[in-house]
Amino acid sequence: MAEESFLTDDFLGQLISVGEVDILVGVPTHNNTKTIGSIIETIQAGILTFFPRERAAIINADGGSRDGTPQLVVGAAIGDAQRSSKLYALRTLRSISTQYASSPASGTALRTILAAAELLRAKACAVISPESTQMTTDWLAALLRPVYSETSDLVLPTYSRHRFDGILLTNLLYPMTRAVYGLRIREPYALEFAFSGRLGSQFLAQNAWHEETARAGSEMQFTLAAIAGGYRICQSFLGTKQHVERHSADLVQAMRQTVGALFFSLEPNFSLWSTKAGSQPIPTTGAEQEFTLEPVRINRKQLREMFSTGVAELESVFQSILSPSTLAELQRIAGLEETSFCYSAELWVKTVYEFAAAYHKSVISRDHIIQALAPLFRGRAFTFLTENHNGSAANVEDNVEALCLEFERMKPYLLKIWNGRE
Amino acid sequence: MPLKQDEPWYKHAIIYQVHVRTFYDSNGDGIGDFPGLDQKLDYLGDLGINTIWLMPFFPSPLRDDGYDIADYYSVHSSYGTLEDFKGFLSSAHKRQIRVIIEMVLNHTSDQHPWFHQSRSSKENPRRDWYVWRNTDTGYADARIIFLDTEMSNWAWDPVSKSYYWHRFFSHQPDLNYDNPAVQEEMWNVMKFWLEMGVDGFRLDAVPYLVEREGTNCENLPETHAILKELRRKLDEQFPGKMLLAEANQWPADLRPYFADGNEFHMAFHFPLMPRMFMGVKLEDRKPITEILRQTPEIPASCQWCLFLRNHDELTLEMVNDVERDYMNDSYAQDKAMRLNLGIRRRLAPLLENDRRRIELMNGMLMSLPGTPSIYYGDEIGMGDNINLGDRNGVRTPMQWSGGWNGGFSAADPEKLYAPLIQDPVYGSPAVNVLSQKRTQHSLLNWMGRLIAVRKATGAFGSGSIEFLYPGNQRILAYVRQLDDEKILVVNNLSNAAQAVELDLRRYKGNILIEMFGQNIFPRVGELPYLLTLGPYQFFWFRLRRI
Repeated sequence: MAEESFLTDDFLGQLISVGEVDILVGVPTHNNTKTIGSIIETIQAGILTFFPRERAAIINADGGSRDGTPQLVVGAAIGDAQRSSKLYALRTLRSISTQYASSPASGTALRTILAAAELLRAKACAVISPESTQMTTDWLAALLRPVYSETSDLVLPTYSRHRFDGILLTNLLYPMTRAVYGLRIREPYALEFAFSGRLGSQFLAQNAWHEETARAGSEMQFTLAAIAGGYRICQSFLGTKQHVERHSADLVQAMRQTVGALFFSLEPNFSLWSTKAGSQPIPTTGAEQEFTLEPVRINRKQLREMFSTGVAELESVFQSILSPSTLAELQRIAGLEETSFCYSAELWVKTVYEFAAAYHKSVISRDHIIQALAPLFRGRAFTFLTENHNGSAANVEDNVEALCLEFERMKPYLLKIWNGRE
Repeated sequence: MPLKQDEPWYKHAIIYQVHVRTFYDSNGDGIGDFPGLDQKLDYLGDLGINTIWLMPFFPSPLRDDGYDIADYYSVHSSYGTLEDFKGFLSSAHKRQIRVIIEMVLNHTSDQHPWFHQSRSSKENPRRDWYVWRNTDTGYADARIIFLDTEMSNWAWDPVSKSYYWHRFFSHQPDLNYDNPAVQEEMWNVMKFWLEMGVDGFRLDAVPYLVEREGTNCENLPETHAILKELRRKLDEQFPGKMLLAEANQWPADLRPYFADGNEFHMAFHFPLMPRMFMGVKLEDRKPITEILRQTPEIPASCQWCLFLRNHDELTLEMVNDVERDYMNDSYAQDKAMRLNLGIRRRLAPLLENDRRRIELMNGMLMSLPGTPSIYYGDEIGMGDNINLGDRNGVRTPMQWSGGWNGGFSAADPEKLYAPLIQDPVYGSPAVNVLSQKRTQHSLLNWMGRLIAVRKATGAFGSGSIEFLYPGNQRILAYVRQLDDEKILVVNNLSNAAQAVELDLRRYKGNILIEMFGQNIFPRVGELPYLLTLGPYQFFWFRLRRI
């Protein structure tokens, strides 16, 4: 039986009409009418401002919106009759949309965008989050120029973030990716990034696109694939990244998409990361990272309570994942009063590495392993919030850097337990 | 044999623009002449040309290639005599080839006797035939056209000790059309040539005839009034003759030159030309469809004149800054190729001698609404010489053969009015009429077929146009229709093969007949009509319901 294409005939027809492009901007969406209008307008303006002569297209991969999101994207096209309201368009700008059949999944959306990029032979592609309301036209230049000038294959963003935004990033993804792969990539899980056609095609061809992969977070996998493939990676500072409120239940899903992908990558890339020590900076345009300090209300107490509850309720699970000494230490701090509670960097790194090794060995269901890490992360988040409660931006950066160094210092421990010697 | 005067002949003309000096030298003095041009009329007839547009051939100091006229009633001695011109005109008419001549109304040479008289004293009767001032501050809103050479539109005359007005070179003083005597005399000039038998005029630089303070001195109502009066006299005394406007303006500003069908019969569509080049370079139809959508309807008796190249630079006056930068970067990377606001290159070098692109551009020239004008030598893909000054690099001798002086002249090469193109790609040994005539698939023979196919239908000359807007923006598609005759034109602007689906439902039931090979294509149905086109390929289909 012939293999079924994940691209619809209608979308394929649209791609044929678009033809070869120099610049492709992919926008994954799902019910984003509140934000998508201004973002698409900014993308259009960015293309006309910074790439006025290039053949460009906006590709919308929509996860089944019912609020008219795709129509807003398609409306950004500049054809024979349409004109940009503010800027002169030398050439046509196509903006097309497709809805994929499965439920909303970033992996499916990215796959669609990658396929479009390959079919259109795009030289440089950017993916823009439909929630980045603070996006400016400069973002497109910052992301796409290094790729279009063929100096980079992957451009990842750095942002000005609130010090307590992205705690999973600052306490796990960044430091562990840095320690394991030896590259100081501040946003390994990026919702805005740019890539070369070469990298996109390779990822599209190599990645096994199935449901589990999609759940595992293809954006993170994309970064890791670029690292593993030795592609040229750089960072561009984009400016402010607004915090997007998420339900606390989203944490497990976020960890699946990011931590799951990171853990998953360790297996095939063992020969690459096992020989690396320390870390190297990567080329960065603009600031590496900025922290802002506006006061915010965070329910720290709840975090610690969820940690303690988790440690108690998941004891049997932890017994299969963690070393006895680590589990004992976690149980000890779980009993501490809020004022004396501290989930130290060393203990946190040890915990994470033991989870990674357990994931590798599949001591239990890998998904359960990721789920089990969530309450422990909440405990670490409590400590991070406490440590930096009154800290300056520099203090926060120092603490993040110290944690990174701890991950790097303890990397031999990961290697030691990787093959079950402890 | 008298020419038919019924149908507006200019709608179905295939114009060939040539300077007598450049075409063929019959007497071996190194300069083309009317007897030489006469000898080459069969060549033009065989190509399918039915109208010749002659550039200025009047007595002139030739500081602007003849656009600086010193005597409107004669022929420059280098090109022959008035009798030679009459002989050429008669020969052309015998071959059903009409002749339109250049008429420079706006200005004369500073060597013209009228100007000598005008500058000689403020009391001279011809003093007011030109525009004089004591200061150089008048008409400050008028732009300077030749930016590379002129600092002002006013020039100091040491004889008259006054400033005179000039929109072009300072040696080309503008005539004063506020003076009725000037208007009358210029009509007398036109009448002189019309009585001799010329079929029309290409009127040079018409937007600038009248000046008024506080305006940009272009397209003024007073100018239109003068032009309408010339037209009235023309229709009254010489019916069937034609006026073609050179007005390098935006479509909306050009429209008044047609008035209610009582000003010009034809006008060059200047803004379209650079956009055709832009569309092919961008591989995007937008520049072309955009400008044609902005082009207003014109009276039924009127016609656009389309061209790819002419004797001037590829003008970029009618594009915006973004487009101009793009055109310069795309077609004139060498700064020596740029002149004023344009690019001084011929068609073939502009298109990198890419036969497919040359054919595509000519295909569009012949199928878009208007009468096509071919610049001499472009039918064989002649090159240019950017090392010659001004626009002389695109005005080199016609290349007839690979022999002595390219078959243009028997003179010693150093006596030629301009050196032949000599580079190995475009030089006469490589590019010439004789060898192309002997090669079935040469550009010259292909051009002949193209013209013949165009002339096989009236739809291209007189038909309406309806653009199709397929999703593939690399495809420029339109239907030309005259009564029941329908022609579908599909152009691939891209250097890669393209698939396109055309919505032809309104032509359901028609079969498509490809006009060059006469092959039949599938019948149009309800579904989008799928076509594939090779790089830069174009199709002309006759839609037939059989």
